[in-house]
Amino acid sequence: MSVKRLSVVAVLLGHLVLGACAVPQPYRVPSPTTVPPTSPSGGSPTTTTPAPTPESIPEPTPLPAPVVKEPTLSSASRALVAQAQSQAAAKNFPVAAASIERALRIEPDNPLLWIELGKVRQEEGNYVQAENMARKALSMSINAPRTQSTAWKLIADSYRARGKNVEAQDAQRRSEGLSR
Amino acid sequence: MKKLSKLTKRILIGASLAFGVGLIALLAWIWHLDGIVTKQFEGRRWTLPAQVYAEPLELYVGQTFGADTLELELRRLGYGRVDNPTHPGSYRRRGTRIDLVSRKFQFWDSLQESQQLTITTGSSAIASMSDAQNAEVPVFRLDPLLIGSIFPLHGEDRVVVAPDEVPALLPAALKVVEDRKFDTHHGVDLVAILRAIVANARAGQIEQGGSTLTQQLVKSYFLDNRRTIGRKIEEALMAMLLEIHFEKPDLMNAYINEIYLGQDGARAVHGFGLASQFYFGKPLAELQLHEVALLVAMVRGPSYYDPRRHADRARARRDRILKLMAEFGIVEARAATVAAAKPLGTVMSGSSSGSYYPAFLDLVRRTLQRDYREEDLTEAGLKIFSTLNPLVQNRAETALTQELDRLEKARKKPAPQKLEGVVVVTAPQNGEVIAMVGGRQAGFAGFNRALDSRRSIGSLVKPVVYLAAVQSGKFNAASIVDDAPMEVKLANGQLWKPKNYTEDFAGPVPLVRALAQSLNLATVNLGLAVGLPEVTKEFKALGLKEEPPQLPSVLLGAVDVAPIDVAQLYNAFANGGFNTPLRAVRSVLDGDGKPLKSFALEVTPVADSAAVYQVNQMMVQVMERGTGRGTRALLPSGLVVAGKSGTSSDYRDSWFAGFSGTHLGVVWIGYDNNTPTGLTGSSGSLQVWARLMSALGTTSWNAAQPETLQPVTVEFGTGLVARPDCGQEVLTIVVPQGTELPQKPGCELDGPGRSWWDRLIH
Repeated sequence: MSVKRLSVVAVLLGHLVLGACAVPQPYRVPSPTTVPPTSPSGGSPTTTTPAPTPESIPEPTPLPAPVVKEPTLSSASRALVAQAQSQAAAKNFPVAAASIERALRIEPDNPLLWIELGKVRQEEGNYVQAENMARKALSMSINAPRTQSTAWKLIADSYRARGKNVEAQDAQRRSEGLSR
Repeated sequence: MKKLSKLTKRILIGASLAFGVGLIALLAWIWHLDGIVTKQFEGRRWTLPAQVYAEPLELYVGQTFGADTLELELRRLGYGRVDNPTHPGSYRRRGTRIDLVSRKFQFWDSLQESQQLTITTGSSAIASMSDAQNAEVPVFRLDPLLIGSIFPLHGEDRVVVAPDEVPALLPAALKVVEDRKFDTHHGVDLVAILRAIVANARAGQIEQGGSTLTQQLVKSYFLDNRRTIGRKIEEALMAMLLEIHFEKPDLMNAYINEIYLGQDGARAVHGFGLASQFYFGKPLAELQLHEVALLVAMVRGPSYYDPRRHADRARARRDRILKLMAEFGIVEARAATVAAAKPLGTVMSGSSSGSYYPAFLDLVRRTLQRDYREEDLTEAGLKIFSTLNPLVQNRAETALTQELDRLEKARKKPAPQKLEGVVVVTAPQNGEVIAMVGGRQAGFAGFNRALDSRRSIGSLVKPVVYLAAVQSGKFNAASIVDDAPMEVKLANGQLWKPKNYTEDFAGPVPLVRALAQSLNLATVNLGLAVGLPEVTKEFKALGLKEEPPQLPSVLLGAVDVAPIDVAQLYNAFANGGFNTPLRAVRSVLDGDGKPLKSFALEVTPVADSAAVYQVNQMMVQVMERGTGRGTRALLPSGLVVAGKSGTSSDYRDSWFAGFSGTHLGVVWIGYDNNTPTGLTGSSGSLQVWARLMSALGTTSWNAAQPETLQPVTVEFGTGLVARPDCGQEVLTIVVPQGTELPQKPGCELDGPGRSWWDRLIH
């Protein structure tokens, strides 16, 4: 907050100094400090089916305050993930992955599914793909600290399995920082 | 007496010698034929071309199907509407409720048993799904459409059916029509032959064949089409030998799988299993009386009685066969009359199940050639689960042909040749190729332009240049580049003087405008400022097979790329900076239904996702106010899409590549001999792309904005920060947090006193 206030002061000072100068100060695109998660009663939103509906063109809005929005699985995805988990438990990894791929065709933008696929790859010993799946999940879990934390945890596991302990520790710290 | 007997003796000896030699020769011949019959018939009886399936339809609550769409999809799969669905492949519709019985199907990952399903739909989506016990079914996979097979060069294609997949009516009808003594004869039916000779002599033409089913089988399986006495004898002998070695039911099943029933371009339709798919779009087991009768009618002359080309002829013979079936007590007379009143019921070739997608199948074949020998594909009975979405494929074919027709009609003078085109559609997040049209005549197998036609991609390279610029950290969408005449000294000493499309130049412009309006000079300046090696490296990183040469002309698209590889390149943008190898095949089952191979989804981060997001936002502006804005009216209002047009020098190639949230489409239009078309990317390919996107009912591109970025409003023309209510043509771009941008005087966001920003959030 103080940074922002300082910049406001700076801008004000700038205007005082420059007066009616023709060239305005450059605009500095703000970097908001992280807003503490204010999820209502910590509960996840009710599960609704993500039937793809066309979104309207995003209006030019200034800096929307980050609202925590953790993803949830649709009932179809939940069923397929449950199926995949039992298939993975039976060490049938290609089939488990195929089940999650089915869910991903229904909800390609759901980071939880990419994490699930990454977990199958991790169990299978395909650590690079496990990390990549987690990174894909991260790229779409915006304002979802709990999901991000799970993804970083998977990245940490993947590094650890490859003996990259320094990177693993760093990823683990990120995971723990987000889950707090 | 003795003299006479001496002569007789000589004759007798000569005759018996001749007879003996003849007998030995005959026996040797029979022995030889027996070898052929047993060896070829007992081992693998047919070479089984690999069968290729489309992607299966997933049903789940929320799936965007109204009852009409769902019914249409079921019909496409050959499900029949009935009053009381009890058989696999049938359904009943009552308003928004559909009850169906699914077909048993062996998927790659599991066996799906036939199941009863009740589905209720809302106005545009599935509202609930339950099974026979009224338990909720969260997700269900319907059996996929068979879209083709990989048959060998001689072109024999078939779908082999087991006896339990054959409706009982079929063998009964075949016997009545073709061979009434089948159950008792030993391979040949002398009475039938005599009857045929008499009947044919009376009619003056070949009305009846005297061949038994066994003889027909021999003729089709072992012999060529020559009609000589020698052949006839050989045929009869082999038929008798077959009867010695094999049981009647085996021979009937062999006949059902062997016999020729039609032609589809280069592929010959063999057996009733494939014929059922080819003519009716459903499995043989589900055929009704009138459909069985039609196929039986065609045995005598598949092209003469082709129901698609000679419907009247085919119908007359079908009805004759129905009558015959009633006469011989196979069906009741009333059932035959009812069946005779029914239309032929064949599906349109090319628009439904019978259609055939050579370009896509070519991609499937090439994918598998890396792992399998040609014989495995054409003979071993593999089941291949592909990624093709037939609905998207049909719409892509329609969009292309309609637009090419329109473009040619709009011409003042007719061109000496026909415009050609390509469409490739992928699902960006998993890299699946869901449609591929390799030319104007989509059903025509030949040169596969989508895979093999490497053409100059023009301005399609620009997003890669801009991505390299943004990734360098030195540029953002509002950064200014100079769109001004220039000369670049090349390595060979020559001077290169690039030009803009309009021969004009815009002066200093922000990146977002330079990309939207596809300004060449600004792009060359930008690319040179970033560095050619940085740019060419980016192509390779995003998934292009080969890194282009480090030449300035590459910045304007002097790179020859096949449409499928353009799709791979743009897929990385649509997929947020992740590379996913494009796939046409998901998995393969062997001839016994055992899983062989799956092509699993793989992702690899290849570009900074924040940089990709910024460039994608710029590509949205291409559609909003740049070279793509002309098709805004064709697209559903409010649909956010991103894309880029490309035109090669002298208008030889018209390109468009763009994506929504769920589809990436690449379109190329040009002449095969590379002569100019007079079309730009926008006036040609973009039109096809927009038609396709609007037909698909696709969803908006709404990727999550990386947390390190912030939106800011700037003027399109100048790139100066301005309040939306102030300044000219103000739009939203995204830039990294903390970026300093010059402001438009009088329109400042954080003007004196409380800033505009502060006023809004406090």
